Amino acid sequence: MDYVKNEKMELLLDYIMKNCLWQFHSRAWDRKTQNEGILNKLSQLLCDEKVELETSLDKCYWVDAMYLVNSYKERFPWLFSMPKSEIKLLIKELHERMDFLTITGSLNLELTDQHY
Amino acid sequence: MPYHEFDCSTTIPERKKHAVVKGPGETLVDALPAGYLNTIPGSISERGCAYCGAKHVIGTPMKDVIHISHGPVGCTYDTWQTKRYISDNDNFQLKYTFASDMKEKHVVFGAEKMLRQNIIEAFKAFPEIKRMSIYQTCASALIGDDIGAVAQGVMDEMPDVDIFVCNSPGFRGPSQSGGHHTINIAWMKDKVGQVEPKITSDYVINYVGEYNIQGDQEVMVDFFKRMGIQVLSTFTGNGSYDDLRAMHRAQLNVLECARSAEYICNELKVRFGIPRLDIEGFGFEPLSASLNKLGMFFGIEDRAKAIVDEETARWKPELDWYKERLKGKRICLWPGGSKLWHWAHVIHEEMGVDVVSVYTKFGHQGDMEKGISRCEEGALAIDDPNELETVEAMLKLKPDLIMTGKRPGEVAKKIRVPYLNIHAYDNGPYKGFEGWVRLARDIYNAIYSPIHQLAFVDISKDEIPTDKGFVTALMRSDKDLPESIKASTEIRPYSGKFDNLVAIRERVYPTFERHNVTAV
Repeated sequence: MDYVKNEKMELLLDYIMKNCLWQFHSRAWDRKTQNEGILNKLSQLLCDEKVELETSLDKCYWVDAMYLVNSYKERFPWLFSMPKSEIKLLIKELHERMDFLTITGSLNLELTDQHY
Repeated sequence: MPYHEFDCSTTIPERKKHAVVKGPGETLVDALPAGYLNTIPGSISERGCAYCGAKHVIGTPMKDVIHISHGPVGCTYDTWQTKRYISDNDNFQLKYTFASDMKEKHVVFGAEKMLRQNIIEAFKAFPEIKRMSIYQTCASALIGDDIGAVAQGVMDEMPDVDIFVCNSPGFRGPSQSGGHHTINIAWMKDKVGQVEPKITSDYVINYVGEYNIQGDQEVMVDFFKRMGIQVLSTFTGNGSYDDLRAMHRAQLNVLECARSAEYICNELKVRFGIPRLDIEGFGFEPLSASLNKLGMFFGIEDRAKAIVDEETARWKPELDWYKERLKGKRICLWPGGSKLWHWAHVIHEEMGVDVVSVYTKFGHQGDMEKGISRCEEGALAIDDPNELETVEAMLKLKPDLIMTGKRPGEVAKKIRVPYLNIHAYDNGPYKGFEGWVRLARDIYNAIYSPIHQLAFVDISKDEIPTDKGFVTALMRSDKDLPESIKASTEIRPYSGKFDNLVAIRERVYPTFERHNVTAV
């Protein structure tokens, strides 16, 4: 990842880590589905793709993704002038980084507890 | 993010893993304090016990219930004086507290018979109350009393009553957090699904992890009702026992204190497919975002926006008055659990104070992940501190204010650091837009109170000046402020009522037409 792209990804990431709570559910499997559910919808929204809203869980992910879209619109207008293919890639890298910070690289020893 | 070793704890080397300083450019994967572990021998913890976490934090805020501790009378101490989870039924659960009053003879011969008598006496003394919760204590757990069997016997005999048994003795887990966990799972297993509720709105939620400290729940439920949302139950502040048996019928679980109540949300998601939305009732921006998210979920964004616009216009000028006077003040944010992360960023952004330290008494590593992500660089994050460590931190960090609970608060007072009670609150409620201004006012009053200057005079040796008049808080806070701010007509100090719940309790809510479609 080049420096500029990395810097952009870090801005998007910092905003989530500071203002959101959904990425910090208590178990690894929950964090995985949360990251997937919300960041996939974020990518779809930013790329003007169809967003599935079949279940109430889908809708819950969509709400948090919409919050990000609106916040990013206000703070990072450059995101909305990027080509869709680049946005997709950027969010994919954001997703990988989020998974690392909150799941695979996390020092939280409770993440692998089998029960709530 | 280097681990931090306190000078006073060098003889307890294990403590080093429980504190870190948030360093520049570092992330959560570099260092994270250990958490939710047994307190290390030699360290005098400020924690409570698992019985306390189950009963005094989560169980007792349920309002229409006789709450009995099956144990010595001292176990039930926390009540009217120390807890402030009020309710709209004349505070029944705070005014009356019950214990079976176990003595040595019961330890020797068993206390089940005595417990049964207690239960029946309590129901007879309060015939309008038909619900009860019984809390095991260390004493009754050790002698093996079968509280469940006693409760079932009474329910067979008195079919109009229902009893919930919580087996969470003090030793079950490293802290009160063990009790939060136990009672969440027990309520889910034993009680959820037993009552079918009356649905009155197209939009139905459970409000979870909210304990109505000085009316927080009533402030938030007021917003929900203004949006036309039915709050099926509140887990548990100002909550009703039978409403909480109907939690399975909500469309959405709206969660505030994840530390104490995420377990039941997670179980409701797994068993009933009800999604969990984490929200925040503190701070203008997080609260506005939360109401907007709720509006989006149900497709009623316009109702959320109307509330946010109205409340912001009314209260923002008052918040800004305090922000101008609190900028740069150094705060130690030392709560029990969730306020560590609910407040770490927003108190800095919206009130201008610098959070120089965060700590948690009973939080888990997940709470530290949230808190460290949100606080500013350089903050000292501590898990389960002992009193010597908190004194050392205060002397080193030189904070203008400690925001914490009663026990460490009294320690702060001894070294003349102002302290604000953010567990039971000073002049809450602190949730809601107005509540956030009330918190700013309490912080302002704590920091600028002239009493702290007087406290630094040692009357045994210092000369008491008699030629100087008394200095007010305003004189102190405005001393170095630019004239443009002092004279500003755009901002003003808090102008709300002493008791802001009166208007809420009298409010008449709009009725919204229901549609024959499910909301999700």
